[in-house]
Order: sequence, then structure tokens, then C-alpha cells
Amino acid sequence: MANQFYWQLPTSGDARYGDATRQRRGEAADPNYPVFGSGVTDPRQNAFNYYDYIHQVTKAADISGFTGVFIPDNPDGEEPWIVAGYIARSTQRLKLLTQFDASRGSAVYAAKNAVSFQRYTGGRFAWHITEGNSDEHTRKQLGDFVPKEDILARIDEFITVAKGVLTTYPFNFVGRFFEVQDGGFQGPLSSREVPRVYLSGSSDEQVALSAKHADVHVLEAAGHETIAQQIARYQQAASTNAPEFALRIDVLARETREEALADAKRFLGQTGAPIPKDESSLLWPGFAAEYTGANASLIGSYDEVAAALAAYANLGVTQFVLAAVPHFEEAYRVGSYVLPLVRELTRPAQKQAA
Amino acid sequence: MTIDVFWRIPTHGEPSSHRARSPFRGDWFPGNDNRTLSGLSGGGDDGFTYIDYLAEIARAAEISGFQGGLIPSFPNTDEPWVISAFLARETKNFRFMIPFQPGFLNPVTAARMTASLQRATGGRALYNIITGGGGPSQLWWGDPVKHDDRYGRTTEFLDVLKGIWAGGPFSYNGQFYQVEDAGLPDPLSKEEYPEIYFSGSSDAALASASKHADYYLSWLEPFDLIKDKFARVKERTDQLGRKIKCSIRVDILARPTEEEAWREISRGFDNIPKDVLDRYKAQNAGDSVGASRQRGLRPQTINSYKDFILSPNIWTGFNLLRGGQTLGIVGSYENVAARLDELVQLGADAFILASTPHLEEAYRVGEEVLPLVRGKAGAGNLRAVA
Ligand SMILES: Cc1cc2nc3c(=O)[nH]c(=O)nc-3n(C[C@H](O)[C@H](O)[C@H](O)COP(=O)(O)O)c2cc1C
Repeated sequence: MANQFYWQLPTSGDARYGDATRQRRGEAADPNYPVFGSGVTDPRQNAFNYYDYIHQVTKAADISGFTGVFIPDNPDGEEPWIVAGYIARSTQRLKLLTQFDASRGSAVYAAKNAVSFQRYTGGRFAWHITEGNSDEHTRKQLGDFVPKEDILARIDEFITVAKGVLTTYPFNFVGRFFEVQDGGFQGPLSSREVPRVYLSGSSDEQVALSAKHADVHVLEAAGHETIAQQIARYQQAASTNAPEFALRIDVLARETREEALADAKRFLGQTGAPIPKDESSLLWPGFAAEYTGANASLIGSYDEVAAALAAYANLGVTQFVLAAVPHFEEAYRVGSYVLPLVRELTRPAQKQAA
Repeated sequence: MTIDVFWRIPTHGEPSSHRARSPFRGDWFPGNDNRTLSGLSGGGDDGFTYIDYLAEIARAAEISGFQGGLIPSFPNTDEPWVISAFLARETKNFRFMIPFQPGFLNPVTAARMTASLQRATGGRALYNIITGGGGPSQLWWGDPVKHDDRYGRTTEFLDVLKGIWAGGPFSYNGQFYQVEDAGLPDPLSKEEYPEIYFSGSSDAALASASKHADYYLSWLEPFDLIKDKFARVKERTDQLGRKIKCSIRVDILARPTEEEAWREISRGFDNIPKDVLDRYKAQNAGDSVGASRQRGLRPQTINSYKDFILSPNIWTGFNLLRGGQTLGIVGSYENVAARLDELVQLGADAFILASTPHLEEAYRVGEEVLPLVRGKAGAGNLRAVA
């Protein structure tokens, strides 16, 4: 199967510069701080908001050849299922990979929501289920009082119940977090595609849960060696089940390495972050983490970045979740310049030669 | 003050007329095998899905002058949040009334979903807060909580939602919900709090509604009963120092003449399958007070559609034609409008209307009936203008 490329939608703001994260494209300007000088009319008023921009990023990803969009769940941003629904009818092909955590509510209700998504999109809806925030107080702010040690158990039940009602009638379940009696969808709501389940984490418990339920295991950006080790360890732990692996990584690619480095340094300068002493590495840890949530970014020429992605593919990664700031222009750039090279490098014949 | 009129989105498919169950649009109807799967062209894989038809209805409703529509949510229907988000970009005015059962979502998640939907639609989201009909369907949903407790939960949920919306940090320690220093992120926090319709007929429902609802929503009931019910709700709310408005959800069947309207009903009645009639006579489930109030209206003998005529233009057999509630208004354009005006006199401030098929009838009702409704501007209107 061909590798899949997802582009991340910026659900909590996006801007051209590293120091203007508060600015949301498409958002009406504060009348006290007009964007244009006083001599120029600004015709936009309230005609647009940030959703119009998210819509454009989605179309950019669709047009430039991505397989899907990844819709991250940032509590400071837009709610992923609303975003997914909002963009769904403007896309024919893109998969809609939505992120959430199991504190959001009823598993039956989540499954019901998924059925409508699958019916209306021809099965393009998928779930990345996370453990939510690791900080206890932040979770309480989000209405989640379940103790930390129970979070994986809740995810386990959530998926069990959701898959149960999606695939079985009558479905019965009594757990610690969820309870269903004679549940399950019937008629045209039955037999819809179960959303592909994405899970992540590298502890033994997380790997065990993933091996039990996940179709795709998501790895956070790291060097090739680390990724190879994580895949090996996972496969050892989960010998009965071999899910696909996805890699969540940012990319800053330019025609030449010099340009990429210059833009990377300018971005860090704007964010106020220190510039790494060693510029030779392709992988810059923490580069835009605050804006995209990714652990690290590949920084280099189109060829270098494509080769690095292809090398991950050779290790067993089949899906990439990519992002770069600003998300709109960079979707076109990565789709036009980088993805074709990766596809070329990972064609089956090439793989054998490698 | 004027009245608001909504339409409805048939989330479960619908027949193409009141006369018979087929041809059928959409892909669900109990006991109906004659399904049209995608577009209306005959069930082939033509690339359309049911949302394409629903989009047509939403557009028809907004073009014809409705505020928006109620999007019912039951075990066999599609999901209203999904429908609202899907249709956000291709509608202009249409307001999405989402029936929403508090037990199903964490209130902080619900607040963020709502604010996001407000941003995605330019403030066109509103709620019909529902609390569940109990019985097997409640456990089907995965909700083991009992009737009156569910209303307690609804009240708590709306306490939290409102608290978060008013601006954080908001803390709450309830029986069902806890939050600590919760709030909505900027710029989601700038959105309007959704207008709240609220349905449920029990005392527990009224208590919760009077605290939180903008509109108390009822199915149509016999006129004297609805008058009392609305008076009770308004009185109760007055005692809390709040104001509440009242609204009615009702199907109508309007034609240029009375004869034409009743001919539709009579044809439809003759086509009701025997097993449907038999099931109807046996029906009894759930702990919904509202639903049993409706069941109480069954005629003693059932020989003709006329046995279901309760009062002028009020027919109590609608659930036999298309499932759902029992009472509806049947008659000429003038008489249907007159009945709606009568209901305004009895306390209605808003309507959610529907007819079958929802698409063409949205145009008909918008063009022929709504212009005849006088609402609160009518001469002889004795109600004080609030
Ligand atoms: C106009 C109206 C619309 C309703 N729509 C829904 C709905 O879409 N989904 C649902 O589960 N319940 C719906 N209900 C059910 C009620 O919200 C409530 O759960 C039920 O009437 C039981 O409450 P009660 O015992 O207080 O009457 C609706 C009720 C009314 C009156």
C-alpha cells in the first residue's frame, strides 16, 4: 500500500511569523487596532473568520495531493469534530483524522457521531484517541476528574464500547466508565466502517493498549535510530498484532539547505528561542512544538527532507502526519516539492534497491 | 414582538407524501424495505448521500422564510451536530436547532463544540435540550440514570455550560459534573451563548426548564391543555424572577381547500399497513410523561380517519402516517394559519413546523401559510406586549 500523507490543520491559530501566533488569519481585526493604515479602506469587516482560513488550508492539502488532514485537539482551539464536519463537504477524497480524548463523553454517542460521518463521507472519518493533558489541574479545567492511573482503562472501555455498538447488535457491556444494554446500530446505521483507530505512547501499558485496539500507532518525531528501536520494541511486545505506524513530524523544506537554515533561524528569532549551535543535523528538536505540537522538525532542502522521510518509510513508517507554519502556503510547498520526491524514493522497486 | 417559525430536518428519511410510505427518500423507516439509498434516482450508487437531500431541505427552508430547523436525534437517526457542521458553509441564515441530551457530553467539551459551531456558522447554533425518554432506549444510549435524576443532571449541565460561558475561571462541584477553573479560550469565548429550547413534560422537566430555558418546547396538545401547560411554565418561571417563552412543535398539512387537505389524510389513512395499526393499539414504553400524554389521546374505536379528528383542523393520527408525534393541524391555508394564530393567543411565542415531504412543503408553507399568520400583530390580540 502506498504511504499516506496527512497535513495538520491549525486548529488554534496560524500566522506567517513565529511571533504573531495570537493572530488568526481570517479573523475580524480589532477595530482599535486596524490592520491597514487610516488611508486605506479595509473591506472585510466581519465577512470572514478563522473557519474560512481553515477551509483554505484543507483545500490546499486536497489539491496538493495529501491523503488526509489531521485535526488536532488543542483545548485552546477549535473543537475537532466541528472542524471535520465543516470541511467535509468541500472535499471528495481527504481522510478526516480527528484527535480527541476519552473524557469527552459517552462512547455510544461518539460512535453515533462517527456513523453519520461515515455515511456522509463514504467512510473517510478516523479517530486519534489521546490521554489528554498530563497535568491534573488542566484536566480538571476540562471537566475530567478521572485519576491519571485510570485513563488508559477508560480509553480501553471507550474503544470497546464504540466498536461494539458499531459492529454488533445487541451489544451489552458493563464497565467502570461505560454501560450499555441491548445497544448497537440497526438498519442503515449498521455496518458502517469503524473509524480507523490511532493510538500513541511508548510505555508498556500504552503499547499493550495499542496492540489491542489500534489500526495505526502514532510515533512522535525522533531520529531514525530511535524510531527503528521503537518499532522493533512495539513489534516484540505486540507479536500477535502488527498495526501500521504513523510518524508525527514537522518539515521546513526549501529549495536549498541555506534557505531552509535561514528561514529556520528567522523563525526561532521571532519566537525568541535560542538557535542551536549544531546546524548540521536535519532534525531540530522542539523547533515549532509550541505552534504545531510536534516534537521536532526536519529542516533542509527538498531533497534532504524527502530522503529523511523516505528513510523513515524504510523503517516501517507508512503514514506521515506533517505540518509547517504557515499551514496554507506550506501545504502547497510540501505537496508540490517534497511529497513527489518521497513517493519516488519509496516506490517498491527503489525500496528493494535500497 | 414577533414569533419565530422554524422548520425541521427529517433525520430519518421520509415518504414522498402523506398518502403512502413509498416512494421513500433517504434510507430509514421502520419496516420499510422500499428504500432509496442515495439520491432520489432509484437507489444506485450515484455518489449522493442523504446529507445531499438534507442540504436541499435546509436551503428550501431558509429561502422560504424559516428561521432554521430542528434536527431530531433518536437511536436510528443521523447525528445533529454532524449535520449542522456539514451544512454550515452552504447555508446563509439557517439556524441549527440541535436536540442535545446533556448526559452524552462532558460540559466543557460541549461548550467548546458549541462555541466552535457558533464560529463556523456565524452564530447560528441553538439547542433543544432533551433529557431522554427512558425505557430501553435510554440504556441503548448507554445511560443508566433514572428519570428525575436525569433532569437533575440536565440542570447541572446547563449550570456548568452557562458558568463557563460567562467567563472563567469557573468551578463547580455537582453530583454529576465537576470542573475546576474552567473557561473558554479566546476567541471562542466571544461567541453568543446559544438560545435554549427545552422539552419534557414532567414536573422535573418544568423545574429544570424554568431555571435555564429561553423557550419551553412542547408537542401540540389539545388547546385547553397546552394553554394550561404554558401558563404553568410561565408562572413557575416568573416566580424565579425570569421570563420564559413557549413554543410548539407541530406537523401541518395545508392545501388550498379543506377538501384537498383531508383527501391527503384519508388516502394516507387507507394505506396504513395493518401491522402498523395493530402495533399502534399496543404501544406503551418508556417513562416519558410527554409521550404518555400523547398516547392518552387514542380514539376508542378506529374505523376511519375521521375518528382521529379531535377538534376543528386537529388530527391525532400523524404518528400512524410517519412515526413521531400524534397531533397535527390539517386544513386550508387560511384555517391552518388561523389555528396557529389561536395557539399564539394561548401563549405560543414560536413554532417548529414540519410537513411531508419536508423539501417541497417548506416552499408551500413558507409561501402560502406563513404570510397569513398574524402572530402577535393580529387585531384582537389581548396579550400584553412584553
Ligand atoms: C418537541 C419535542 C422534541 C423532542 N425531540 C427529541 C429528540 O430529538 N430526541 C430525543 O431523544 N428526545 C426528544 N424529545 C423528548 C423529550 O426531550 C423528553 O426527553 C421526553 O419528553 C421525556 O421527558 P418527560 O418525561 O419530561 O416528558 C422531544 C420532546 C419534545 C416535546
